[in-house]
Amino acid sequence: MSTPAFSSSPLAPLSLSQIETRFRDRIWRGDALGASPDQVVSSGFNELDKALPGGGWSPHSLTELLLPAEGLGEIRLLSPSLEQITRNGRNILLVSPPHIPYMHAWENLNIDSRYIVMVSVDKPAERLWVIEQGIKSAAFGAVIGWLPDISQQMTRRLQIIARTAASLIFLFRPVNAQFEPSAASLRILLGSVRQHMLSLLLLKRRGIPVDLPIYIALPQTRRFSNSPAPIPALAC
Amino acid sequence: MLWIAFHCPTLSLDWIERRFPVALIPAMAATIRKGNQVYIRQANKPAQQRGVMAHQPLASALSIFPDLVVVEHDPNEEMKALQEAAYAAFRFTPHVVMQGSGLIAEVSGSLKLFGGLKKLCRLLNQAVAAQGLQLCVGVAPTARGAWLLAQSAPLRTVINGAGSRFRSLLDALPIHLLESAQPYLEVIRGIGCRTLADLRQLPRSGLARRFGPDLLTELDRACGDSPDPQRWLEVPEYFQQKTELMAHVESIELIWIPVQRMIGQMYGWLSLRHAAVLEFSFILHHEYSLRQPHKSTPITIRLSEQSDDPEHLMLLLRERLGRMKIAAPICGLELIADQIIAGTNPDLELFPTSQSETTSLNRFIEKVSSRFGPQTIIGLNVIPDHRPECSQRFQPFQPLKMNRASNTPRGKVIPSASASSLTRPVWLMAAPLQLKVQRHRPVYGSPLKLIGNPERIEAGWWDDAPIARDYFIAKNKLGQVLWVYREHDPAARSNSPGNNNWYLQGLFG
Repeated sequence: MSTPAFSSSPLAPLSLSQIETRFRDRIWRGDALGASPDQVVSSGFNELDKALPGGGWSPHSLTELLLPAEGLGEIRLLSPSLEQITRNGRNILLVSPPHIPYMHAWENLNIDSRYIVMVSVDKPAERLWVIEQGIKSAAFGAVIGWLPDISQQMTRRLQIIARTAASLIFLFRPVNAQFEPSAASLRILLGSVRQHMLSLLLLKRRGIPVDLPIYIALPQTRRFSNSPAPIPALAC
Repeated sequence: MLWIAFHCPTLSLDWIERRFPVALIPAMAATIRKGNQVYIRQANKPAQQRGVMAHQPLASALSIFPDLVVVEHDPNEEMKALQEAAYAAFRFTPHVVMQGSGLIAEVSGSLKLFGGLKKLCRLLNQAVAAQGLQLCVGVAPTARGAWLLAQSAPLRTVINGAGSRFRSLLDALPIHLLESAQPYLEVIRGIGCRTLADLRQLPRSGLARRFGPDLLTELDRACGDSPDPQRWLEVPEYFQQKTELMAHVESIELIWIPVQRMIGQMYGWLSLRHAAVLEFSFILHHEYSLRQPHKSTPITIRLSEQSDDPEHLMLLLRERLGRMKIAAPICGLELIADQIIAGTNPDLELFPTSQSETTSLNRFIEKVSSRFGPQTIIGLNVIPDHRPECSQRFQPFQPLKMNRASNTPRGKVIPSASASSLTRPVWLMAAPLQLKVQRHRPVYGSPLKLIGNPERIEAGWWDDAPIARDYFIAKNKLGQVLWVYREHDPAARSNSPGNNNWYLQGLFG
């Protein structure tokens, strides 16, 4: 890889392209989308995969999902990757979900409920501890935590631990957290556009920033129909 | 053969100092009786600073420093402390010999596993020193030689006599280190011998005649010229160690060092037996009195999978201790390995396999449940029932058995054929939330718009929780998709029209 010109006169300035070819692995240009050296898990949505560094959810880093309210389709967004994880026989850890997961629905999304481990603790410090232990453990393919209040130091701590992790790590946080700094390497603001359609605004990623949200169509669980239902309550 | 000897010059005080919390060690001296006089045998640092010295008569020591804590020389307790240190050393080698005020370990078989002599020596030193002993270390190709080198070493240093340096190091040692030369020290000094080299230059027959055959034998054994059979320390079939504390302790932090020592001993004992522990008990002993009827608090920890990892055991114990309230001051600790299983540690696998994944899941479950209690870690069991409340059950999470997860194709249990084809929300409310009604419309955040086809669930007439509900899928302005229902009770509705019996039961996440 060393160019003869370079080796003969070490002080000669290198051209930009020379530097780039020489240090290809160690230089990351800010205008290029960050590549993930490790294996990513496809999110299951083409539009999203294209926007994510490395082309999918990356282990070894923290993903923050900012959610205005539960019930927008956040689990359906993750369901293709979660399905893949349980199909490979790995477990999913849910740390203090806001409501009870209804396994029939998870099964409908092809997520094997027998691989779901739920830990419910209250205090933020306890949640953090459980998430940390989950990340450090080799048992989980995905760690999903709900952390309403968490400081920047805590996210940094998690992000550092996440570097050695082999699992996908998702943190659900409230929308107002978007104005707080966070060490998570990927931050996505979720919003609902219309039914079965989710808007994802990538607030932060490794690569050029994105201004426009991505729209993805969620997998339809069965028998959602758009026709308005006859409403007996209003009829009488 | 390669021997590492640990000499503990301050053993007569160490055995008692190690029972104190570090901050509370008083000025202490060990005494020994010579004839009808009691002399100071050893004094610790604080006592030395007050002017108490070894070989002083006790009376004069007390006149210098009246508050001196006096401990009688107790060979039994010293032996016990050494034995505990030997347990910790078993982690590195099964061949350990108790020798006077120290230990000698044969390590030639362990060099490779622990990454060479230097590393092994450091680890072994750490493990033994962690038992609360102050050590001098000698390394030599003979047991006696290592022991002599260790005795000549200053505190907390290692003399490495492995290899070619051994003979020269040994030759330079002073004669008073030899055990069998003790009665003749005056004479030997008188004939001009100071070092072992001087002694070896003398004619052997003359030496044997004047000082007995033992001196020659000891010298030969040290040099490796005659065989030196050893009596290895044998350990009992069960592990039960008790530590008394010299203070009444009420905080977990202060008992933590003795706990670490005991776990270290158990670890060594387990490695010696090539076993792992499945269940162990930790007992806090309290001082019993009429006012304080608690004699002891036992803590039994059962592991979901055998383990010989001291870090893991310590973490479990720590979380458990942190969670409980200490009933009374602690004056003693006891550790018992209740159930052990022979076998190697599954963690030593080169590549992570699904087996080790199960292990780490078990570890995770143990950690979480020892900190927060087993009820916090939940798996959900699907039950075929039409009523949402009854269709799943919380239970302590159980990892799937290996053969089911990896080998056999997983026969997917469809909870019930009908339920799987129906639309169900990802989240269920813990209890249905009654919704306000505005202009005949239920409200959650904003007035709801019903979007899905209605579904009626009437079930449960066979037990005490019958339901009759009409379910709808609804949507609010925020974009939340909700699963709401309306009580379906024709009689009630006709009585009070427009009553607000709308409930939110789930969210389509």
